[in-house]
Amino acid sequence: MKSKFPYLLLLSFLFVTTSAVSQEYYVKSNLENLEIEVGEVFEPSTYAVDQDGKPVSCPQIVYYNKNGALNSDDGISVSRRRGTIKGEEPGNHKVIALCLGLVDGWLGRDFDVKVSYAKAKDLSVKLDSDQVFVGSYVQPSYEITDNFGFTRYNANIKIKPSNDNIQVDALNNIKAVKSGKVTLTFSLDAVETSIDLNIVKNPINNLVLSSNMNTARTGDVITFRTMAYDDKNQLISDLPILYSYSGESFDKSNTAAAMIRDDGKFVAETAGNYLITATAGQRSTSIPVVIYDRGIQREVINVGTGLVQERHTSDFWVFEGVDKRDYAVSGTWGADGTTYFWDVTDPAQIRKIDSIQVDARTVNDVKVSEDGRISVISREGASSRRNGIVIIDTTNPYDVNIISEYTTNLTGGVHNVFIYQDHVFALSNGERFYVINIEDPKNPYEVGMFEIGEKGQAIHDVWIEDGIAYSSNWKHGVYIIDVGNGVAGGSPSNPVVMSNYSYESGAHHATFPFKSKSTGKFYTILGDEIFPQGIDLYSTNETAGFLHFVDFSDIDNPVEVARYELPGHGSHNYWIEDDVLYVAMYSGGVRIVDISGELMGDLFRQGREIGHINTGNPNGFIPNATMTWGAQLYKGHVFYSDHNGGIGSSKVLPIKPDNSRINEYLDRPRLID
Amino acid sequence: MYRVLLAFLFFNFCHSQNYYIYVAAESDDTVSVLKFDGETIEETDRITVGIMPTENEGPHGITIDPSGKYWYLTLAHGSPYGSLVKYSTQNNEPLSKVELGLFPATMEISPKTGLLYAVNFNLHGLMRTSTVSVVDPEYMVEITKIKTGIMPHGSRISADGKSHYSVAMMSGELFEIDALDLSVNRILSLDNNSKYRNAMHHSKIKPTWVSPHPNGKTLYIAGNGSNQIFVVDLQSFSVTDTLSTGKGPYNLAISPNGKFLLATLKSEGAVSIWSLKNNKFLKKIKNTTSVSHGVVVSPDNKYAFISLEGVGGEPGKVDVINLETLSLQGSVNVGKQAGGIAFWKIEQ
Repeated sequence: MKSKFPYLLLLSFLFVTTSAVSQEYYVKSNLENLEIEVGEVFEPSTYAVDQDGKPVSCPQIVYYNKNGALNSDDGISVSRRRGTIKGEEPGNHKVIALCLGLVDGWLGRDFDVKVSYAKAKDLSVKLDSDQVFVGSYVQPSYEITDNFGFTRYNANIKIKPSNDNIQVDALNNIKAVKSGKVTLTFSLDAVETSIDLNIVKNPINNLVLSSNMNTARTGDVITFRTMAYDDKNQLISDLPILYSYSGESFDKSNTAAAMIRDDGKFVAETAGNYLITATAGQRSTSIPVVIYDRGIQREVINVGTGLVQERHTSDFWVFEGVDKRDYAVSGTWGADGTTYFWDVTDPAQIRKIDSIQVDARTVNDVKVSEDGRISVISREGASSRRNGIVIIDTTNPYDVNIISEYTTNLTGGVHNVFIYQDHVFALSNGERFYVINIEDPKNPYEVGMFEIGEKGQAIHDVWIEDGIAYSSNWKHGVYIIDVGNGVAGGSPSNPVVMSNYSYESGAHHATFPFKSKSTGKFYTILGDEIFPQGIDLYSTNETAGFLHFVDFSDIDNPVEVARYELPGHGSHNYWIEDDVLYVAMYSGGVRIVDISGELMGDLFRQGREIGHINTGNPNGFIPNATMTWGAQLYKGHVFYSDHNGGIGSSKVLPIKPDNSRINEYLDRPRLID
Repeated sequence: MYRVLLAFLFFNFCHSQNYYIYVAAESDDTVSVLKFDGETIEETDRITVGIMPTENEGPHGITIDPSGKYWYLTLAHGSPYGSLVKYSTQNNEPLSKVELGLFPATMEISPKTGLLYAVNFNLHGLMRTSTVSVVDPEYMVEITKIKTGIMPHGSRISADGKSHYSVAMMSGELFEIDALDLSVNRILSLDNNSKYRNAMHHSKIKPTWVSPHPNGKTLYIAGNGSNQIFVVDLQSFSVTDTLSTGKGPYNLAISPNGKFLLATLKSEGAVSIWSLKNNKFLKKIKNTTSVSHGVVVSPDNKYAFISLEGVGGEPGKVDVINLETLSLQGSVNVGKQAGGIAFWKIEQ
């Protein structure tokens, strides 16, 4: 033992020496205070200096952009092979220089590098028309090509009019103020170009504004039309009309909030008196509308619960069994691979009737075939690391049995599944979905596969209706795919993409197709899933995100028109029937929303919510912590699953909530067990 | 009397050491901090990791930087890419995160370059050539991805820090990367299938781990599919010997003094130990639950810590093996599917 002390001492000495050595060197580079232009390639020279200032060469030098070495379009790109850097975007960026191999441990330094646009070589300016009306604004578009051949479409351009027929303000807004000719000169760096413009008197003598409704409810979309006539009462077509509104809420402490679009569509969020104004140049006209409260709130009561106390609950499905009784199946999350089966024939007496345990930690999704005979559950966290799906005979839900399991190409974990006409659509590893034929459920086999084919492709959910699959792909949005409808020649073995729509947040988690009964319009409702503060497994989590309503009536030109956003709560799974949305808003419970009529703007703020249920349970896995996972309308009851409580049922009553009689509820028999 | 007192103090000194270990639980999205006092092992902290409460993000690989100030965790699942998260050992709070490739798994920091090298295992993706991500842990930026084989695993650094080794499970290859130059230096086909490099040929050997010997001359590869350990001579870069194991050797560890080689036997729920003096098999020790995963040896060569996944709802476990008596010393429950394991420190 004694002989080890010198060894330990030596080790300690070496450690101290090594640490000291790495602090003795300092990285120097001509990257210091470097300024380059967009498109410029620069070859850095880097070395280390010791404590005496003596330069020492580095055995290996590595450069990278602090914003992400592999993201070449973010400010500065680095060619490791050539040892050069290149300006990609203007701004102040950091380049890291690593000196590898000179000392033990990390030796490097970051350098501020300024990237600016190169001097303009060419400036092109275009106008929609060389004639404008007095009182109108001119909106030029620019194209600037610089010395490195880089093209951009905006810059701090100087604009100089030849006379006072035009006014240019500090923000470069160009307004025609007098009739006559004018020359506008645009300049940037040493480049200059001019455009001649003819300013004419506004020909409009009269504006006539009309609408399809004079009174409406909050959330109703009113369409305004404006006709413009000249002094000979001739109709002037194709004039740009600017719409605006002012208003006063009936509730004196509230804002008269509304939205009006360029096409004259108006929707109000609060009840009140509004004045709609149409403007064309110096002409304008207004008409009033009165907006009343939507008044669609209904009382919603909890009817029954099926408590799952010892595990987190995941997705669920309610179905009619072969014996015509009503059943539900629910999965569990982060536990032991258990799936529960329930008799929900009496929604007030939900009874756990059987369970299945498979080798998994999470059964995230469960679905049941149209005839109620087959249930398919997804597996994640299998100890064999071969996850896949499990096919279960639910002919007798009181005695369910595993028929088979299928793992080919699905080992990475199946997060969601869907059953449609003897085929299972199963997500694989969050990257793609496979189509598996289960006509013979003992011998399932793969018939098709779909992936979007994008770098970084990721999928979270797939839903099938009328042979069309709605694939939810996070940042790549929804893909609408013919998987058997035939409209685009698709089939389960040959999925054919029909359309795609994505949006900025990139948090697209689920899709539900919606054919509006009241308008005939076809929407896809795209749900986010966002946890802005990350995880707290043992109390309520903060959730965010909302439902995006995308008008897909023209499948080639989808337009996002509305949202349902519940402040403070994020969206998860949902269901739609008869123009009513039943949405699980995680910590916000189940929300029941009127989505009838034309949809535009913020549906929550328009008072379209019919009612809601908090699904937390005092005896739940986390007591009273509402975390609603999914909702499903089934035979007049709103069923739901709650991550912390199990499943439950509720009912939307025809009566309106009456807070003036709130004390009567004290004597009401408990409807929740 | 003086000698007795000295002996007493020395005895206490030797027996008052605490060993600290981090272990990741892949199906619980948690990381446990464990303390072993030479007699019993206990969990002192359990940290929830990841950002999506309703998704299993799968913490898989874990390592601690040479200073002991930070620990690094790979999260296997994202949308779709996994990530690397840097934590402080002082309070176990996350400090920074960077996205890597598909299913980033095992990793290690080179004491020479200070850079972190993590394999992108892509365990469940299509059988395509994957990569080793090189990350600057100071700024938490991925510097480059180096192409290797199909399902790379077992990311380990040579004792001098100049070489990185990994094995490709499905293409059956050993890769040596120059840790300074950041490029592949040498490739060894374990299936003798070098003609079909990067081709998915379902390696019969299915190598899952590589451990370089501290002497810098040899390394050892776990042949999970062939129930063997391959001894590779680094000078000739060829297999010079094989050791027969039990079923499913998965992870390996070599004691810092170079005397012991340990292999977890995933399919048996056991760990086997060899003496590297003569490659002699010493003992197989049954673990306290099934699906043995990772193994790490304390710097004083006294103890080995084995992570055990368990099945379904069972907790994961960490077993302690006494390398002097070659016996099970203790065990502690951790989160489900315990996998990545890293030794933090010995404290008096």
